[in-house]
Amino acid sequence: MFAGAEPAQSDTAPASREAVGVGRRLPEAIMIEAVGLTKLYGDFVAVNELSFIVQPGEVLGLVGPNGAGKTTTLRCLSGIIPPSRGAVRICGCDLARDPIPAKRQLAFFSDEPRLFDYLTVQQHLTFVARIYQVANYEPVGAQLLEELELAGKKDNLPGELSRGMKQKLAIACGLLHAPKVIYFDEPLTGLDPIGIRRMKDSILKRARDGAAIIISSHLLHLVEEICSRILILKNGRKIIDGTMGEITRKFSEQSGDANLEEVFFRATSEPPPPPPPPPPVSAAPVE
Amino acid sequence: MISALLYLQYHSVRNRLVARFKRLKQPKYLVGGIAGGIYFYFYFYRYLFGMGGRRGGVSFALPPETAALVESIGAIILLVVVFVAWLVPHERAALTFSEAEVAFLFPAPISRRGLIHFKLLRSQARILISIFFMTVISNRFGGKPWIHAVGWWLVFSTLNLHFLGCSFARTMLLDRGISNWQRRVGILGLAGVLAVTVVIWAKRTLPEFDFSHIENLEGMRAYVDQVLAAGPAPYLLYPCRLLVRPYLAPSALSFLLALWPALLLLALHYVWVVRSDVAFEESSVEASSKLAEKMANIRAGNWQAAGKKRKAKRPPFRLRPEGPAAVGLLWKNLISAGQMFTLRLWIQLAALAIVLSIGVRSAPGMSGVMPMVGMMAGMFIVWSLLFGPQILRQDLRQDLPLADILKAYPLRGWQLVLGELLAPAAILTGVQWFLLIITAGFASPAKMFHFDPAIFLGIALGVAIMAPMLNLIQLQIPNAAVLLFPAWFQAAKDSPRGIEATGQRLIFFLGQLLALVAALIPAALAFLVVFFVLKLFLGVGVVIPLASVVAAMVLTGEAIVGLMLLGRLFERFDLSAEGMQG
Repeated sequence: MFAGAEPAQSDTAPASREAVGVGRRLPEAIMIEAVGLTKLYGDFVAVNELSFIVQPGEVLGLVGPNGAGKTTTLRCLSGIIPPSRGAVRICGCDLARDPIPAKRQLAFFSDEPRLFDYLTVQQHLTFVARIYQVANYEPVGAQLLEELELAGKKDNLPGELSRGMKQKLAIACGLLHAPKVIYFDEPLTGLDPIGIRRMKDSILKRARDGAAIIISSHLLHLVEEICSRILILKNGRKIIDGTMGEITRKFSEQSGDANLEEVFFRATSEPPPPPPPPPPVSAAPVE
Repeated sequence: MISALLYLQYHSVRNRLVARFKRLKQPKYLVGGIAGGIYFYFYFYRYLFGMGGRRGGVSFALPPETAALVESIGAIILLVVVFVAWLVPHERAALTFSEAEVAFLFPAPISRRGLIHFKLLRSQARILISIFFMTVISNRFGGKPWIHAVGWWLVFSTLNLHFLGCSFARTMLLDRGISNWQRRVGILGLAGVLAVTVVIWAKRTLPEFDFSHIENLEGMRAYVDQVLAAGPAPYLLYPCRLLVRPYLAPSALSFLLALWPALLLLALHYVWVVRSDVAFEESSVEASSKLAEKMANIRAGNWQAAGKKRKAKRPPFRLRPEGPAAVGLLWKNLISAGQMFTLRLWIQLAALAIVLSIGVRSAPGMSGVMPMVGMMAGMFIVWSLLFGPQILRQDLRQDLPLADILKAYPLRGWQLVLGELLAPAAILTGVQWFLLIITAGFASPAKMFHFDPAIFLGIALGVAIMAPMLNLIQLQIPNAAVLLFPAWFQAAKDSPRGIEATGQRLIFFLGQLLALVAALIPAALAFLVVFFVLKLFLGVGVVIPLASVVAAMVLTGEAIVGLMLLGRLFERFDLSAEGMQG
């Protein structure tokens, strides 16, 4: 587990949202609220009037074709870039007007681990603890490092770590202050199979503990497996937003049962890739 | 195949230029370009095109004896460069390619010779740019620009090929079991034999060297001329002379006569390089990733890390989780600056400076040296105040590639900016305090300025009191520039280069000076008021530090206003507008 708590499942047991009860909405709580979120780059509209909410325990999957505005949305939601219009509220705090309490609840994991080259693993945790004022960070940090198999690398610099280990260090830094709102941008990039399993378990566990999570990914099977709700973006606009059951039902009316991949292609009106051509038939050797 | 490589090179250069021209649409870059253009025009260009008065187009003809000496000196410089190229390097041949070039070209069906040609082609682009600037600079002192340009091209291109051939030869020797040290001993031995030959010849042939020649420049020149013009030295220097001659040609005809031997030398180098069959790919892959890392560090302003392999550094102090977040950033940036900047070290240095100043004062024969040292330390203080903020970059300039991480922290803009500026401000203050101790300890105010030592100490104390805030104010200018001109600093894009970068630096420097003057005016007024009031009751030596405290308070107020403005700038800083997508 990456969560700093006892594992919900064994490392080998399959992780799924049904198994851990993800998606059960807690009453009257909105952890993430985007209202008319719009981001313009000059004349180009990257995100267009996007509105949605995420409640505690929910895992929202943000999917869409390349350039749909997923990463821009996450960066606006985490206060890294300012939206051109609209508002974002984190645990009730307006991210633009009251950014400090809002950001205290946040963790954003980008697809590429972003670390300070000159700080060791342990120094990263010490620094983050000061920034987020995590009083009792040492045991939590030690536990995180243990769970992430970084305990033996405490004095190593990021340059001495593999890509996966850097990712784990970024995760340790992000989880140190026990965020209630977590964004993942392509969370499985660079992880080995065990790391992938642990990451999925960790996400589900955080959700079960009441965190609101948004995952942006092109890996539709991952989204289908662990997300309680799906939001499909295309050209910055929301195409569909609902639980897996709701969006499947919507698209099943047109043609039978649909999995997320089929829903994705139908919703984005992208033709599915053609099947691979049959191998060339070579002439049978003449005997 | 070469056409594809030409295509790559041509379009890389073209697209880079187009991108830079497009960037000029933004006023902030246009202003830098105009300022740089004006500077280059008035300082260099007008001489290139003969518009700068009499210097442009003036013949470069030197008196024959001076020309021969200049040619000899040029040839000796080249010989030393070649000698060092054979002696010092220890790596295997590694043509430097970018990571993208390695990814695309190495697996492609391109021969080793094709890759060498691509490398030569690419180095030509760099050489041509260098030639342009070297010609512009050298032509300031007279001569024909085209002769200078071709002369520089011959020198740079031949040296480039020589370095390459040298690295191939080194690799071949390593492959044959001849280690770097064995090679070095051989080269030193050969150089020693040649040097001894020249010395023996000079001793036998020329009159005994008279040390009185040293006093007389003409006499010394005549002796050097004799050594270089006869015996073994001319043969040793001959290839290098061939290369220097076209550049020094006084007329078109003599240039043409000097050109063909230099071209022949260049052609021989080319044949040597392309006929070498040395496996450079593995070393090149390693070198390209090292280069990429180094460039990223340099562009991020982390020169220290760019120079050598990074090592974990001890933190300067124990950081507790509670307390101002800005101290966390100070702690982080001091780690980045290295162990040179610990409090303990500064205390040790201060103690050393005090002991030295006391010890040297009592030492006989040091009375002449001490004021010089004190004066120099004083000048360094002024220099560090002006240029220190440009050199120490453990602040937003270093962290700009991670701006998205900083933006996600639950900190107000001013907190973040303050934290980022604290480390360089602390380091600069440490340096200045150390220099102040040297100045106060070594200088002799009574002799030099007819000052009462108490007043001198008061001034030193006053400067020490004001220095931290002055540094904090001075550092705000380059950091504001980072937020206003992020494209100049970001790691993922081109590093700042060219005329607009020069213009930008000029503007920053002027801005820095203006900020210093503007910050000093209110502080100086406050200082003067307090000084004249307290002078009625106290001695000048005491009044100066007291007035400095008031001036430092004014400076603190200014620094706070600056931090607030800079913090607001950081909060409004839109990474997406600058294409910094992390």
